[in-house]
Amino acid sequence: MTSATAAVPATAIAAGTTERTSRLDKGVRLTGFYLLLLIIALIFILPYLMSVFAAFKPLPAILSQSPLRPPAPGTLDNFKTIFTQYDFGRYLANTLLVTVILTAGQVTFSMMGAYAFARMEFPGRDSLFWLYLTTLMVPNIVTLVPLYVLFAHSHLLNTYWAIFLPYVLGVPYSVFLMRQYFMTIPKEVMEAARLDGCSEGRILWRIIVPISRPIIITATLLAFVFGWNNFMWPLIVTNSNSLNVLTVGIANFNSNFGVQWNLILAGALVALIPMVILFAIFQKHIVNSISLSGINR
Amino acid sequence: MSVAAAATTTVPRREHVETASKADRHRVRTAFAFLAPSLLGVILFLVIPIIFVIGLSLVQWNMLTPMKWVGLSNYVNIFEFDGFGHSLVVTAYYVILNIPIQTAFALGMAMLLRSKRAGSGVIRIIAVLPFLSTPVAMGVVWNWIFNPSTGLVNQFLAHLGITGPAWLSNEATAMPVIAFANIWQYAGYNMLFFLAGLAAIPPTVYEAASIDGATKWEQFRRVTLPLLRPTMLFVLVTGVIGSFQVFDTVYVMTAGGPGNATEVASLNIYNTAFAGFRIGEASAMSVVLFAVILAITIVQFRYFNKRMTYEIA
Repeated sequence: MTSATAAVPATAIAAGTTERTSRLDKGVRLTGFYLLLLIIALIFILPYLMSVFAAFKPLPAILSQSPLRPPAPGTLDNFKTIFTQYDFGRYLANTLLVTVILTAGQVTFSMMGAYAFARMEFPGRDSLFWLYLTTLMVPNIVTLVPLYVLFAHSHLLNTYWAIFLPYVLGVPYSVFLMRQYFMTIPKEVMEAARLDGCSEGRILWRIIVPISRPIIITATLLAFVFGWNNFMWPLIVTNSNSLNVLTVGIANFNSNFGVQWNLILAGALVALIPMVILFAIFQKHIVNSISLSGINR
Repeated sequence: MSVAAAATTTVPRREHVETASKADRHRVRTAFAFLAPSLLGVILFLVIPIIFVIGLSLVQWNMLTPMKWVGLSNYVNIFEFDGFGHSLVVTAYYVILNIPIQTAFALGMAMLLRSKRAGSGVIRIIAVLPFLSTPVAMGVVWNWIFNPSTGLVNQFLAHLGITGPAWLSNEATAMPVIAFANIWQYAGYNMLFFLAGLAAIPPTVYEAASIDGATKWEQFRRVTLPLLRPTMLFVLVTGVIGSFQVFDTVYVMTAGGPGNATEVASLNIYNTAFAGFRIGEASAMSVVLFAVILAITIVQFRYFNKRMTYEIA
C-alpha cells in the first residue's frame, strides 16, 4: 500500500477517496432502502394492527385512546356481543358454506372443461373456446340486472343456491388458466394412458391433476378469495338476515350501528382474520399463484 | 376433422373403420360430457344475460306490471333524469385517481424489491396480503381511520397542529380517500406481475446498456419500461376493467355521498334497479358502461400493440 502510494501517489489518493465516498454512498443507499421497506411495511400492516387493537377494546377506550395503543387489558366482549346478540356466527357459517361449494364446483368443472379444450378432440372445439375467451372480459356489473331478473323468475331469490349458482359451474377465466397449463403437458402422456385402456376421467384424475398442482391451487385460491369477498351479488339476491353472508352482514351493521366502532371493527375482523390465516399458511403458494395467473394470460 | 382423417387413412378395413368411428363417437361424447357444466355456466350466466340486458334496456319495467316497449328512450332518460352522465364522469375521475398511482406504486415497489437483499422477501409477502382482504371489511376499517374525530389520520394531523377535514363527507376529499383504499388493496397484487415481468428481462440487456454508458434512469426509461410493455398492458387492462366497476368500497364508505359526489356508475345501476325497480333504465346504464369499458380496453390493446416491437426469447 505505502509503496504503491509512493510510486503513483496522485491516482492512489484519488482511488482511495472514490472508494471511501462509494462506501459512504452504499451506506446511505442501504439506509434509504431499509427506510423505504419500513414505510411500505407500515402502510400495509398498520390498518390491520389498529383494527385488532380496537376490536379488543371497549368503546370508550377506542374513543379516548390513540388507535396505536394496544388494548390493556384486552376484552373479548365485542366478539361475544356480535356472536350472541347479533348473527355473526350465522354469517360466518353461511359464508363458509357458499364459499366452499362455489370453490369446489368451480375448480372441478373448470378443470374438466380445460382438459376437454386442451387434450380432447371434438367438433366445434375452436369456436367454443373462442366463445369462452369472448366472455372472459365481460364485466360482472353488466350481467347483474338480467341475472337478477332470471333468478327472480326461477324463484331462486333468497336461497343459498342463488348466492353460488352463477359461479359454481366453472368460469371462463379458470378454464382458460388451466387449459393453458394442460397444453404444456406432452400429448404422449395421455396417448400412452389411453392405449393402456385408461378412461378419460381416470387420466384427468390420476395423471393430469397430480402434475398440475400449482395451477389447481391457483384456481382454488382465486375462487375461494372471490367467493369469500363477493358482496354485490349476495346483497341483491338475499334479503333475509338468516341468509346473509359476512360481507352483507358487515355492510348492514355498518349502516345501522354507525358509531359503535368496537362492534363494527370486531365484525370486520371476523371476515379479515380467516383470510390472514389462510394467507399465513399458504403465503408462498399465494404469491406464486398470483404471478402464475398473470403470466399465463 | 383431423380425427376423421386419421381414422380413414390409418385403418383401411371396414370393420375396423366401424369400431374406430364408434370409439370416436364415444370420445366426442366424453369430451362434451367434460365440457357440459362449464358450457352450461357460460351460456346461462354470461351469454344469455348479455343478450337479455340489451333487450331489457329497450323496455320500461318495474318487475310487477307488464313490460312496455319504449325503444331507445331509456338511453336518453338515464342521461337526462338519472344523472348517469355524472356517474360516468365520477367513475372516470376515480379511475384517473386510482390507476396511474396504483401502477406507479406497484412498479416502484417491484423495482425496489426485485433485489435479493435481506428483508425484501418479507415485504413482498406483506404487500400482497391486502389483495385477499374483504373490500367491504376494509371499507369499514378505512371509515374509522378517516373518521374526522376518532380516526388516526386526523389525530395525527392534530399533533402537527392541523385540523383535518371530514374526509368522507367532504366533496373534495371523499373520492381520493376511496381511491386510496383501492390503491392500498391492489398495489401489492399488481407488484407481483411487475416482479415476474422484471425477472423475465435478461441481465445481459442491462450489461449492454451500461457498457453503452446509459445511466440508471436511462436504463429504466429505455430498457425496463419497453420490455415491461406486455406486463403493463395486462396490469392496466385488468385494473381499468375492475376500477370501472368499483362498488364495494364506495357502498360502505360513502354510499355515493356527500350528495352524489361519489355515485359511481355501478352504484347508480344498483340504486336504479334495486331501490327504484326501474329495470329498463338500469339495463341501459349497464349497456352503456359495458360499451365504455370495451372501448377503453380496445384503445389500450391498440396503443400497446403498436409499440410492442421488442421481442425477447
